[in-house]
This record gives sequence, structure tokens and C-alpha cells, in this order.
Amino acid sequence: MSETKSNFLDFEIDKLTNSIENTLTGEVFKTEIAKVSWKDRSLIKKSAWLFDWHIELKAALKEVLKLTTANNPDIIQGLMCFEDKKDHIFLHLLESAKFNKGKQKLYLGVAGNLVAFACKISFERNYEGFVAFDSKTALIKHYEKTLGATHFRGQRMFIETRAAKQLVTKYFAS
Amino acid sequence: MKLIKEPKEVDFLIKSESWSETDLADFRKLMQEIKHRNKLKKVSSVAKYTKTKQTRKLA
Repeated sequence: MSETKSNFLDFEIDKLTNSIENTLTGEVFKTEIAKVSWKDRSLIKKSAWLFDWHIELKAALKEVLKLTTANNPDIIQGLMCFEDKKDHIFLHLLESAKFNKGKQKLYLGVAGNLVAFACKISFERNYEGFVAFDSKTALIKHYEKTLGATHFRGQRMFIETRAAKQLVTKYFAS
Repeated sequence: MKLIKEPKEVDFLIKSESWSETDLADFRKLMQEIKHRNKLKKVSSVAKYTKTKQTRKLA
């Protein structure tokens, strides 16, 4: 897979859109994001996830999306639950799969990819890219740096149009 | 294309609480301000582009 790398903040340059990177080999894999409904609940084993995603699947106003690699759609790399607030997208939950957590994580970029997709949805629904969410205090600086998110107050954060455009362009340019 | 990666030692995880009415109202106010500012910027850049185009035509 052809890729050009250069150091710029925490980003690495590559030629692929919506992709994640294997931490062991450095190989980049194309990803797919799809909606998960209640009838797909068997795909999400409760023991494999920190959050109870089955509760989210039951919630009428919430939408759950899964991220997989294009060549292995049966293995979920990350999940995101959001709500359409009619003028912005509100992220309730976002979690990477167990094997994508900690120092031994297998893939990098799962969360960024999902957040970028939330921004894309926000643009498609005419909310100008606005996405809001809460962050752990320790992660605020990371979200500011890597996602271009704005710290609103307390643990509240949001992504505005300019940052959202950059995220969407980086991940979903085609 | 750039791949946005979390640092290896950091796990990005989001678990939001419901925002209070005050938080939501203040956020919506700020969001409207930003959206309005973006709109003005867009109008101003379109006007600038049109003006440049007209000037070039006349010249």
C-alpha cells in the first residue's frame, strides 16, 4: 500500500481516505461505517465492551454506528452513539474495541475516524459541521490538538465548522 | 490525506452526560454566533471575488 509519511503534530500523511493504521505493521486499512440496529445486537457482545451498547440500541432517539475495516466487516473496531439535536449532532458514547485500547492497541485512528463521520453527518443534515460531546478532563487537550475541538466549559466540548471541515476533508475527501 | 491518530498511550473515549438547559442554551447561542460569522465571511469572500472579477473585466 503506497503511503507518504511526514511528521506534523500527531498526524501522519497517507494517501487513503477513511482509514485506520495497524500499530504493528504500519499498514493502513480502508474502513467502513454502518448503522447498527437492534436486530444486529448479537454482533455486540456485552463482555467485549465497556459501555452497555444494547441500551443505546434500544433508545429511540439515538443512532449507533460501527466502524469496521472494509476487508473484514464482521469485526467491529469501534462504536459510536449519537443523537440528532436538530441543529447539531450530540455524541453520547464513543468506544474503541478492547483490542484497540491501551498500550497494545492494534489500530490507531478509530476514534478520529468516527468523530469525522459525525461531522460529515452534521454537514449532511445542514448543521454546518457542529458536533458536541463531553470529555474526560485528561482528554480535553488531546481533543483540542488532534480533532480541533473547542473547550466550551467544564467537560463540555464541541467541534465547529472549520475544524469539522478539516476532519471531513482528511477522512472523507472522495 | 492525513490520518488523525490518537497518541499510542491515550485512549479516546466519549461518555457524555445530558447537558443542562443552561449549557445547551448557551451553546446554541454561541453556535448561532459562529454560524452567523461564517455566513458573513462567506458573503464577504463572494463579494470580494465578484468585485475582482468585474475589475478584471473592465481592465
